[in-house]
Amino acid sequence: MPSLPELQTAFARAMIERAEDAGIAEWIVSGRGLDAQARIAVYRNNVLSNYRAALREVYPVVLALTGQSFFHRAADTYVSRYPSRSGDLNDFGGEFGDFLAEWEPAAQLAYLPDVARLEWAVECVLHAMEIPPLDLSTLAAVLPEELPALRFGLHPAARIIRSPYPILRIWQVNQSDYSGDQSVRLDAGGDALLVVRRNGAVELESLQPGALALLRGLATDHTLAQAHAAALDADPALDLTALLQQHILGGTLVAFRNDRQGVAT
Amino acid sequence: MAARTVRAPTPVPPRAGIGLRAPHCRDIVASRPDIGWVEVHSENYFVDGGQPHQFLERIRLDYPLSLHGVGLGLGSTAPLDVGHLRKLKRLSERYEPGLVSEHLCWNAAGGRHLNDLLPLPYTEEALAHVCRRIDEAQNIIGRQLLIENVSSYLQFRHSTIPEWEFLAEVSRRSGSAILLDVNNIHVSAVNHGFDPSTYLAAVPAAAVREIHLAGFDDTGACLIDTHGTPVAAEVWSLYREAVARIGPRPTLIEWDTDIPPLDVLLAEASKAAVILAQIDAVAA
Repeated sequence: MPSLPELQTAFARAMIERAEDAGIAEWIVSGRGLDAQARIAVYRNNVLSNYRAALREVYPVVLALTGQSFFHRAADTYVSRYPSRSGDLNDFGGEFGDFLAEWEPAAQLAYLPDVARLEWAVECVLHAMEIPPLDLSTLAAVLPEELPALRFGLHPAARIIRSPYPILRIWQVNQSDYSGDQSVRLDAGGDALLVVRRNGAVELESLQPGALALLRGLATDHTLAQAHAAALDADPALDLTALLQQHILGGTLVAFRNDRQGVAT
Repeated sequence: MAARTVRAPTPVPPRAGIGLRAPHCRDIVASRPDIGWVEVHSENYFVDGGQPHQFLERIRLDYPLSLHGVGLGLGSTAPLDVGHLRKLKRLSERYEPGLVSEHLCWNAAGGRHLNDLLPLPYTEEALAHVCRRIDEAQNIIGRQLLIENVSSYLQFRHSTIPEWEFLAEVSRRSGSAILLDVNNIHVSAVNHGFDPSTYLAAVPAAAVREIHLAGFDDTGACLIDTHGTPVAAEVWSLYREAVARIGPRPTLIEWDTDIPPLDVLLAEASKAAVILAQIDAVAA
C-alpha cells in the first residue's frame, strides 16, 4: 500500500496527465455500481471542470470568439502545460495568452493571445489595491527646476497593453451587453490601451503614441524629463501639461518621487 | 490601503445563514434580509482591492461573518503554503469573522495544485499528518479552525479508520472544531453505502460549531456535491436528526453553481430557520 506522499503524487498524475490511472486504481475500492476507474474519472472530471470554469470566468471574450468546445480543449491542454501553482483558484490562468500563442490549434487566430492578455489585465486591474489620488497641491509645491527629475508611479490598477491587432474593438463587440455591428476589420491596425479602474469599473482607453511613450517611460521608473523626451520623439506636438493633468485626474498616476527630497504622494 | 473599519469580532449565532455570492451583494446591501449571518470563500477576498472588498466591508457592518477556505489543502504532503495562511490571517484580522473554517482533504502534490477537495486515506499516517498541519495552521493564523467533512466518490482500500472516527479524532487531537456538512454525509453515505446515522452518532456534539447544507446532483451512478440545486428532502431529514442530536448550530445554505435569485436562497435558509426554531422550542 502506498505512503501518503506516494498516493498523492500518483493521484495528481492521474488527474492532470490523464496517465490512465497512474497505477492508483488498485488502491481504490470498487463496487456500488462504480469500479475504481469510474470513481477516478469522477475526480478527473471535477478537477478539469473547476479549471474550465475558472478560465471561462476570466476569459469570456476568448470563449465567445472560439466557442465552448474549442475553449475547453484549450483549457484542458493549458492545465497540463501550465499547472496551477496556487491553492487559490483566482491565481490560475495568467499565462493563458502565452499558451494560446504557442498552441497549434489556435495558430490561425493570431489575435487571440493578445485578447487573452487584455482579459487577464482587466482581471488584475479589477482586484488591484485601492490607492488614493495624487494630491495636486504637493505637486504644485515642487520647484519648477526640480520637475524634470521627478519620477511618477502608476496606479497598481493600471496596465498598458499593446497589440498589432484591433483588440479594443474585438473586446467591445464581444461584451455581453453589446448590441450592434459585430464586424471587426483585422487589418484596421493595432492598439495601445490603458486598462484602468475608475469608480470600481474597468475602463479601456486608447493611447496615442505620445501618451503611450510617456506612460511607458514613467511606468519603468524613468524621470519625467526622460519620459517626456521619448514622448516628444513619438509626437513632436505633445502637450505635456495637458497629458499629465489628464492622467493624474484620471487616477493613472498616483504618486511621484523627487529623489532629492524623498517620496511624496 | 483601504481604511480599516474598526469593529468587534461578532460571534456567529445558531441561526440560518447564507453563502454570500457576487450576484446577490447589491441586493443584500439594499434589502438587508433577515438572516443570521453570512459566509464567504476566504480565497475570493485574498485580492488587494476592488468591488468584492467594498461589498464585504459594507455587508460586514450588518451581519456576523464566517470565513470558509477551500484552498489550504490541510491534508497535502506538499509543504504547507505559509503565504496562503498569511493572507488568511490578514483577512481574518481585517474582517473579524466569528468562524474560520477549512476542509478535511488534500489538494496539491508534485509542485502542482489540483484545486479540488480530494479525499484522504483514513489511516494513522494521514491522521498524524493532518493533525500536525492543522496545528501549524492554527498557530499561524492565531485562532481555532473548524474542519469540514467533504463529499467523496472513492474510498482507499488501505483506510483503517471509519471517516466519522477520523473526523472526531482530528478534532480531539488538533484542538480544531468541526464544521459538519450534512449534505456531504448524505452524498458519501449513498456513494459508499454506510448509514448516515452511524456517522452522526460518532460526531462529538460539543466540537460542532457550524453545519452546512447544500444540493447535490445524481448522475444515476453516484451523487456529486455540486452546490447547484435545492437541499434534498433526505438531507433535510438528516439535518433534523443532526440538530436533534447535536443541538442548534449556525447553519449555512451553500449555493455556488447555477446561482438562483436571492429570494430562492433566502427561502432555503428560512426552512433551516424553522427547523432550528423547533429544536429551540423542544429544548425550552
